[in-house]
Amino acid sequence: MQSRRRKYLWLIFSASWLLLVLLGAPRLRQLAIPPSLRPRTLTSWPRWLDQELLPNFVEPEELTKDPCPPSCSTRQWQRQRPGCLMETCFDTSRCQSHGFKVFVYPVGLTQPISEIHHKVLASIEGSGYHTANPEEACLFVLPGDALSPQLLPLWNGGQNHLIFHLHPGSWPDLGFDLGQAMLARASPKPETLRLGFDVALPLFPQSYPQRGGSRGQLAHLIPPPGEDLLAFESQLDARVTGSSNHLDQTICQPSPRFCLLQKSGPRALGFSDNILLSCFSFQAGCIPVLLSSGWELPFSEVIDWGTATIMIDERHLLQVMGPALQELPPARILALRQQTQFLWDAYFSSVEKIVHTTLEIIRDRIFRAAARPWLLWNAPPGGLLALPTFSTQPGDFPFYYLQRGSRPSGKFSALIWVGALDQPPLKLIQEVAGSQHCAQVCLFPNWRGFPTPTYSHRGVTLIFLLLQKSDRFFPYSAIGTDAILSLDAHSSLSTSGLLSFVVWQSFPERIVGFQTQSHFWDEIKGSWGYTDQRPNEFSMVLMDAAFYHRYYHVLFTHFLPAPLRDLVDELSECEDILMNFLVAEVTKLPPIKVPQRKHCYNLTPGLPGPPRREQPSRDCISKFASWFGHMPLVHSQLRLDPVLFKDQVSVLRKKYRHLERL
Amino acid sequence: VCKEETVCVSMCAPVKYNIRGPALIPRMKTKHRLYYITLFSVVLLGLIATGVFQFWPHSIESSSDWAVEKRSVHDVPVVRLPADSPLPERGDLSCRMHTCFDVYRCGFNPKNKIKVYIYSLKKYVDDFGVPVSNTISREYNELLTAISDSDFYTDDINRACLFVPSIDVLNQNTLRIKETAQALAQLARWDRGTNQLLFNMLPGEPPDYNTALDVPRDRALLAGGGFSTWTYRQGYDVSIPVYSSLSAEVDLPERGPGPRRYFLLSSQMALHPEYRSDLEALQAKHEESVLVLEKCTNLSEGVLSTRKRCHKDQVFDYPQVLQEASFCMVLRGARLGQAVLSDVLQAGCVPVIIADSYILPFSEVLDWKRASVVIPEEKMRDMYSVLRSIPQRQIEEMQRQARWFWEAYFQSMKAIAMATLQIINDRIYPYAAISYEEWNDPPAVKWSSVSNPLFLPLIPPQSQGFTAIVLTYDRVESLFRVITEVSKVPSLSKLLVVWNNQNKNPPEDSLWPKIRVPLKVVRTAENKLSNRFFPYDEIETEAVLAIDDDIIMLTADELQFGYEVWREFPDRLVGYPGRLHLWDHEMSKWKYESEWTNEVSMVLTGVAFYHKYFNYLYTYKMPGDIKNWVDAHMNCEDIAMNFLVANVTGKAVIKVTPRKKFKCPECTAIDGLSLDQTHMVERSECINKFASVFGTMPLKVVEHRADPVLYKDDFPEKLKSFPNIGSL
Repeated sequence: MQSRRRKYLWLIFSASWLLLVLLGAPRLRQLAIPPSLRPRTLTSWPRWLDQELLPNFVEPEELTKDPCPPSCSTRQWQRQRPGCLMETCFDTSRCQSHGFKVFVYPVGLTQPISEIHHKVLASIEGSGYHTANPEEACLFVLPGDALSPQLLPLWNGGQNHLIFHLHPGSWPDLGFDLGQAMLARASPKPETLRLGFDVALPLFPQSYPQRGGSRGQLAHLIPPPGEDLLAFESQLDARVTGSSNHLDQTICQPSPRFCLLQKSGPRALGFSDNILLSCFSFQAGCIPVLLSSGWELPFSEVIDWGTATIMIDERHLLQVMGPALQELPPARILALRQQTQFLWDAYFSSVEKIVHTTLEIIRDRIFRAAARPWLLWNAPPGGLLALPTFSTQPGDFPFYYLQRGSRPSGKFSALIWVGALDQPPLKLIQEVAGSQHCAQVCLFPNWRGFPTPTYSHRGVTLIFLLLQKSDRFFPYSAIGTDAILSLDAHSSLSTSGLLSFVVWQSFPERIVGFQTQSHFWDEIKGSWGYTDQRPNEFSMVLMDAAFYHRYYHVLFTHFLPAPLRDLVDELSECEDILMNFLVAEVTKLPPIKVPQRKHCYNLTPGLPGPPRREQPSRDCISKFASWFGHMPLVHSQLRLDPVLFKDQVSVLRKKYRHLERL
Repeated sequence: VCKEETVCVSMCAPVKYNIRGPALIPRMKTKHRLYYITLFSVVLLGLIATGVFQFWPHSIESSSDWAVEKRSVHDVPVVRLPADSPLPERGDLSCRMHTCFDVYRCGFNPKNKIKVYIYSLKKYVDDFGVPVSNTISREYNELLTAISDSDFYTDDINRACLFVPSIDVLNQNTLRIKETAQALAQLARWDRGTNQLLFNMLPGEPPDYNTALDVPRDRALLAGGGFSTWTYRQGYDVSIPVYSSLSAEVDLPERGPGPRRYFLLSSQMALHPEYRSDLEALQAKHEESVLVLEKCTNLSEGVLSTRKRCHKDQVFDYPQVLQEASFCMVLRGARLGQAVLSDVLQAGCVPVIIADSYILPFSEVLDWKRASVVIPEEKMRDMYSVLRSIPQRQIEEMQRQARWFWEAYFQSMKAIAMATLQIINDRIYPYAAISYEEWNDPPAVKWSSVSNPLFLPLIPPQSQGFTAIVLTYDRVESLFRVITEVSKVPSLSKLLVVWNNQNKNPPEDSLWPKIRVPLKVVRTAENKLSNRFFPYDEIETEAVLAIDDDIIMLTADELQFGYEVWREFPDRLVGYPGRLHLWDHEMSKWKYESEWTNEVSMVLTGVAFYHKYFNYLYTYKMPGDIKNWVDAHMNCEDIAMNFLVANVTGKAVIKVTPRKKFKCPECTAIDGLSLDQTHMVERSECINKFASVFGTMPLKVVEHRADPVLYKDDFPEKLKSFPNIGSL
């Protein structure tokens, strides 16, 4: 009995022990762990019992009252405030009548100016915005930065004036009162930059090329395996130990994946900026890692630097840089490498590009409604080549169709150069209008004797336009389609025209044509040459039968400087070469060749083909190359044929049968 | 926690049992009963104590949620501020992130995300017991709740990077400036305002109306609703909208595109007389298209005056009337920031902002050019012609954009709070910042647009050459022939054999054909088709030629030409045999086509050039289960690659050179018509499967192929660069 009771007691005793241990142990354990390591629930912001009854921060009636006392009239409080805004310090009414015209004070007015300022001035004079008449100017540019502007006849407190200050940010400020003048300054201190008014420039050396400049040298979009992760490690060490007084060229060795750039004081600011540029240039695809957030990057008003650089606050560099760089997904590295190259080529490779970018930024501010959207500045071909005078909708440009999910319209306008013919080229018109994609036929130049033709095909009446000007590539507002088919009266077009239009829809940013030519470097003459005797490749298509986007008319007329277009008019020869240069400069790609009905290879001189005088063309091509600063044309070795072209299959299965008989 | 407990039971209990039990019980006798009972009651007591300890909710560690939830705002602790308590300095205008912000506090925040602490709510009174401000407004409570519910929140003051006081300064008119500043200064981690974030929507007071909060605040960041260029510290402060309570009250469905009744509408009631007269002049000139609304004077009782607007005798519902206009005026009042901006955006009306020097809400990240028109005050009279010059299509896009801005960043205090914190987060971790497109593109644009990963137009140098990757199982003889043939191509720079047979060793080194370029054999762990598309480190060139071990019918000219074509189209698949997908109307699904067609939409990867990056995408970024599905079915890896490339680039394939009688890779096992049929059915199935995984049909159909410039031209063959094309 006792033993039995004892057993029970024992059982109860042990059971209670077990319970005690069970319940107590976790609790004790919890107490044993320091509070910081304990898993715990977040104490969140309370849900108040009466939160529905809380007062509004402002009564709606009070908001709609918001009385505007007489003192809120802008003009009054502007006077009390320092600093400048486009609205307050710039007289945009000067730009209304003549558009954005830039006047440069003659150099003679002031003391001699430096070489770099000469380059700046030449760049302005070479732009389409330059005017020699101060009356029609909207912006006045000072020829240097060391003069007393008060002597200038049109100074007017600096209003509508622009000063290029190209010394590093650490240099002393200008020796005179800036007034309301804008300052385009190389690597400025962010504190002194008047937001939305001044322009931040890159710092560039005196020897910087006027135009052209070296192109980006990225060969590998993907960093090849074994490439160093980071250049400039020694510099980093130097920085950490506090002796960062020399930054040498080693940063720009040819292969690291990232270049570390830093700003450790006002002295280094300009210097680093300089390295930023050289890294862009020499460093094929070396991604800049920028330290310090207090750095006003060049053209940061329009360029989204986050797409091309890795920015790290230098204060927590050591904490985050390693993971930040190593965990960077390959897609981002790929995008960064390409973007650095694009930005370099688009805005920084020459003095001219830097100056033109400055002018375009100011233009965009003045004509806000017609300013470039972000994409135009930050995607190839970039803001200098995407003109907002055409459209501010990226989806209208030939190069942004994919990004915007849009496509060119499915029709084309035929633009036929009739020259001095007595009769309209009816056969050609008939051929062209036979295409279901043809929306308009435009004949030019207008010749008084022409009867206005009427033509109806498959129930569709075509619009005929007789254009007034003799300018082949003028952006006629009457052209209502994205695609233009440029024709000469003597061209002959088979239904191959149809294939070429379908091909153009796949490549809307390029010229799609039939007859091709090739450029080459003539060693003997030391100049560029031009030939159709290298039939295995080509770099230009003739414009007597070619499809292209109507945007190129805008670019041809507004981007190219007047002297270049005058030259073409004079020679009446090289228009199509110039157009090919222009499109290649924009796309960086060759044009596209499609099969044509007749091939005429001048294997033996004297055979047919459009007669060309060799010498003027040769002059053109050299002149164009020197104006562009480099040779934009690119060779291609391929032709786009129909899928079943000349295949061993019944001709009945083929869509483009005409081409089989070539 | 559960897991730990079970472990503990099984480990600790037997230990106790073994040590105590056997030692005590045998010795127990009656005289020890007292001792025994004492022990027993001690254990029982311990048990009870533990139980109480266990079920007493958290009160020992911290005040529990449960206890707080029952509280009312009126019950919060009261803090008395002595009149002479320290006052912060006025805001420092030169503050920037790198001078006034302490990033070290954010250094140990994981995942590039800042941590935000909210001070607990207190009620501040002065020496006489008079409150310093309203304790908290409904909007500020919503804002703090949103922060508290977000990933940014932490309740650990030691780990926080950003501190948000619960002192409500949204509206400067509801608070006493000096006392509020003193209240700020006595916060636990005030530290001269470093890393403190204040939210203010209505700054300034009559008559001058400063454009930033007048409360002295040391270095604190200010998220302010009416900054001008002169008070806004670029890159330090955040410009936020003035919240409109109508956002929550009124449900305005998004209005589709199309013309609207009025061209320009003004709905603000308290306008400066100068502006009103300008507007009225405009209306007189354009009677039909301009509508200037005013406050209603004779509204019946009970009608909210804020919800009605009048023009002459007509009464309009506000904000509904805003949807009737293409453009809506947002004029500055005494303050630069106007709540009407939010209403206008909600209505999908394009705001015409006339407020010189105004820093638009979130302008650091939002591209207002896409959603608004900003007109200088001086140019107000020319406004109409400026607006008229904007094409209708662009107006519609701006309307869509305006609505999207409201939905994403204006519609609630939560949206405003999250955008503000994200902006600050982006500054602290700029390398992980959200991109322009993510901030600005409406979802519809994000869906329809394609961002080609190889967007730079760049023709790779010819000298780089290509790497040929031959996938093989055991057909050694055929493999050696392919190697010999491919090695004749001038631009070949390396040859990689992917040996997919685990049961058999590749032939000895000496047996391989001697070729002029490095040849490397990679052995795989498993016989999978996706091994062909693995981004091997051995691939040093951008260009890859994938080739099957039985493709011996291509000439060196054809392959070299294919490489030249790829150089001109480095972002595309450049292949030889082309295929097509077609929509089968009867079956309502996609169909695979390998006949002689006039169109192509795919190329077979049995022999194709493409960029190495696509190997990375195929291996790591293939959507859905496609990669495993292909490996399991041992089929359609080429169709999957075509889908992938077309989807990321938005571009079509390039087929090169004429069609040949390929012993095509897909026909190796085919023995007669029925098998052929099965094969076609399987391939069609793949297309349908992939299209459903991708959620779209990315393949693009084209009617062209690439040939050498002089292909089939009447021209001496010996002068052609690629004479040996199309011959068998």
